[in-house]
Amino acid sequence: MKRKGLLLVVALLAAVSLIVAGCAGENTKSAGGKVVVGSKNFNENIILGEMLAQLIEAKTDLQVERKLNLGGTLVCFNALKNGDLDLYPDYTGTGLMAILKQPVETDPDKVYNYVQEQYNKKFKLKWMKPFGFNNTYAIAVPRETAEKYNLEKVSDLVPLAGNMVFGAEQEFFNRPDGYDGLVKTYGLKFKNTKSFETALKYQATAQGKIDVTDAFSTDGELITYDLKILEDDKKFFPPYFCTAVVRMDTLEKYPELEDILNLLAGQISDEEMQQLNYQVAEKERDAKEVVREFLESKGII
Amino acid sequence: MGQILQLTLEHLWLSTAGVLVAGLVGVPLGILLVRARALAGPVMSLVDVLQTIPSLAMLALVMFFLGLGNNSLIAALFVYALLPILRNTYTGLAGVSPDLLEAGKGMGMTGWQLLRQVQLPIALPIILAGFRVAMVTAIGIATIGTLIGAGGLGEPIWRGIQLANTLMIMTGAVPAALLAIITDVLLGGLEKALVPRGLRAKNI
Repeated sequence: MKRKGLLLVVALLAAVSLIVAGCAGENTKSAGGKVVVGSKNFNENIILGEMLAQLIEAKTDLQVERKLNLGGTLVCFNALKNGDLDLYPDYTGTGLMAILKQPVETDPDKVYNYVQEQYNKKFKLKWMKPFGFNNTYAIAVPRETAEKYNLEKVSDLVPLAGNMVFGAEQEFFNRPDGYDGLVKTYGLKFKNTKSFETALKYQATAQGKIDVTDAFSTDGELITYDLKILEDDKKFFPPYFCTAVVRMDTLEKYPELEDILNLLAGQISDEEMQQLNYQVAEKERDAKEVVREFLESKGII
Repeated sequence: MGQILQLTLEHLWLSTAGVLVAGLVGVPLGILLVRARALAGPVMSLVDVLQTIPSLAMLALVMFFLGLGNNSLIAALFVYALLPILRNTYTGLAGVSPDLLEAGKGMGMTGWQLLRQVQLPIALPIILAGFRVAMVTAIGIATIGTLIGAGGLGEPIWRGIQLANTLMIMTGAVPAALLAIITDVLLGGLEKALVPRGLRAKNI
């Protein structure tokens, strides 16, 4: 009986010490303080999250905890609001339509100023200066389809939509600046819709499982899968300029943070963002490396 | 590779934490229910219902209340680890032959003594089997934790899916599977080692 009791106690101790070690590992605090950087669950946002993290690590004493690849805009936004995150990269158009639920506005400055004012007031969050690029939703079809039916604009899809399957990530179907608004504005009636994990929708398009998808205009996959973007002739989508959204109390706590985050202002063009996305998604390079290379090439770190 | 080891250990401690908390709640609760058998039905049914909630949904619900991160994952793992532990504790204790209990009472044992010296030793292998199932279940479910910002081996699996990189998926999936298998074997060994001598001849 003693031997068995001992065995059990040993097993229990092993389990408990494992847990204590795990907890201890979690709670190492650095003298200067800590910020938590989040990101959504698609390639570009993960790259930008990593970029913000490396920027803060390089330029401040702060310890950075990364919570990248979280399940979508609302998960990130709610986490930011309740303090689980200190900042994450978001897009002005997303703030306008998905969060603030306002109708579309196409002037980029108006959109930026409006979301800044509302976020400051309502949520105590602040938008940093935009990185430069505009990553808008873009309706895309395989190039062959575009050439076959002479497609240039989204409106050109209207007569053909009845035979086409529209595919997108689940979030697109849940947002006002997404599927429902799109089909209403253009009068589109698709044969069917399918939802996918963000990264898989391009493969689905290439495999012919869907005929048309909501591309992100800076995605590298547009090159790889040879997709053509159709012009948003009815101007349904707002501008989506990207930057870090930060808790105001975090900025107060670490006053050096704002200027450092703004080092990225205007530093990333549409082409540069697409190239970064391409390097990670298609060339399968490690995001951390690609980001560091980029920051060094810009002389930021 | 050091990163994989770190993620594996993190995965292990998250699963263990969930199971241990489930044990701290489940075993005493099981003991209580054996004393108050009338309550056993409804309590078991409740825990049963929780078990049927799909893990992704459970994770999202827990995240609502507890926010992102490891704590939410551990809370969700606790819910799924509870049923096997509670059920096995109850069944193991309730399954002790009434003759033995009579004999013990005849010898003048109090309720406590009966529990410690008769019921628990006999039920121990069954209770441990419950922990074994709970651990293997927890290791599996913990892979989804990455969606709410928890750590563990879900991270390379998920990232690998997004990047269509099968190798990356494997660097998460294979250690997770190995972890489950090794844990199962180790706890199975512990289970066998703890069977009271008198019951060893029987096949439990």
